[in-house]
Amino acid sequence: MREQAIIDGILTEAPYAEGKVRRERRVEFKVPADRIRDFLKLLREKGFELMLQITVVDWPKDGEYELVYQMWSIEHRTHAMVRTRIPRELDKARMPTVRDIYPVAETYERDAHDFFGVYFEGNEKMEMPWILDDTEQGLFPYRKDFDMLAYVKKKYMILDRFDENKDNYVI
Amino acid sequence: MVDWRLFEPLFDFARRKSLWIVAFCTGCGGIEMPPLMTSRYDLERFGMMPNPAPRMADLFLITGYVTPKTLKRIIITYEMQPDPKYVMAHGSCPLNGGIYWDAYNAIKHLDRYLPVDVIIAGCMPRPEAVMDGINKIMEMIENGTADGWKRYKENYEYYKKNQDELFGEGWREREARRWIPWLMNRKKEE
Repeated sequence: MREQAIIDGILTEAPYAEGKVRRERRVEFKVPADRIRDFLKLLREKGFELMLQITVVDWPKDGEYELVYQMWSIEHRTHAMVRTRIPRELDKARMPTVRDIYPVAETYERDAHDFFGVYFEGNEKMEMPWILDDTEQGLFPYRKDFDMLAYVKKKYMILDRFDENKDNYVI
Repeated sequence: MVDWRLFEPLFDFARRKSLWIVAFCTGCGGIEMPPLMTSRYDLERFGMMPNPAPRMADLFLITGYVTPKTLKRIIITYEMQPDPKYVMAHGSCPLNGGIYWDAYNAIKHLDRYLPVDVIIAGCMPRPEAVMDGINKIMEMIENGTADGWKRYKENYEYYKKNQDELFGEGWREREARRWIPWLMNRKKEE
């Protein structure tokens, strides 16, 4: 199987990672957060030329963020998801940047910093304003524990419009 | 000295027949503009035309949800337009938030920040509905009820208070200080 051969070729050089085949043309790796740079360098050598996206998933019950690096290989015609987990607390949610390996990562790292508060060390554009406006800086509105409705009520002053528990819906 | 107010009905008739649009597409309604402009629904038969600069425009189409960051640009663009100016809002998002009623980053009532003349209901309104709204605004222009630009002048304190509450006091200066040096540097690089 072509996908299994790709995984085996990668895992012999990266014993710290786990890999499995999701389905045809879709493979998945799990990597510890501190080895992500080594692993992505290796993936780049092995023919994964493109980084499509960095996704952050918030798992508040586990107290962790899951970062998914989506890679695409034109050579193998295969999509690889590299999953890694980091703690969810804002002062501990730090990752090494992969901007020098995949330059496109700059955009997605700034995205993750704006919306989730993950800090990518080594990316010097991290502190620059990105999508969010000044008033929303530092709120990290995509975190699951961000109280959206209270913030909306305060910001747009629509206190009379919605009831707190959504059973009584007042418009 | 001619009293130009006598000619207002004539001017209104002329304004109604030559609405130029600001090509400022916010939100999903920008996608409804190409069928409106091209041969199927052909807006140009009403004398409407997408316009490259707000300085020459009459009608401001707000096509979809408005974020606070876009609203700053919308307000500045609106104030750049010369005086008989009309605003038409598409869809339920500028009206009351629509599906973004609990989103942190979409404004809920556009008419608190800008005077809106016509709001078209729908999510997203079909081109037929937009044409209906355009008919409505043409009627309103002709009988003089599309007076948003007058209301903006008369009630400027109210609109300014709401804008300042949303963006913070002195937001125009802050935006200018942030973006003008960036634009100047860009020109130098080129």
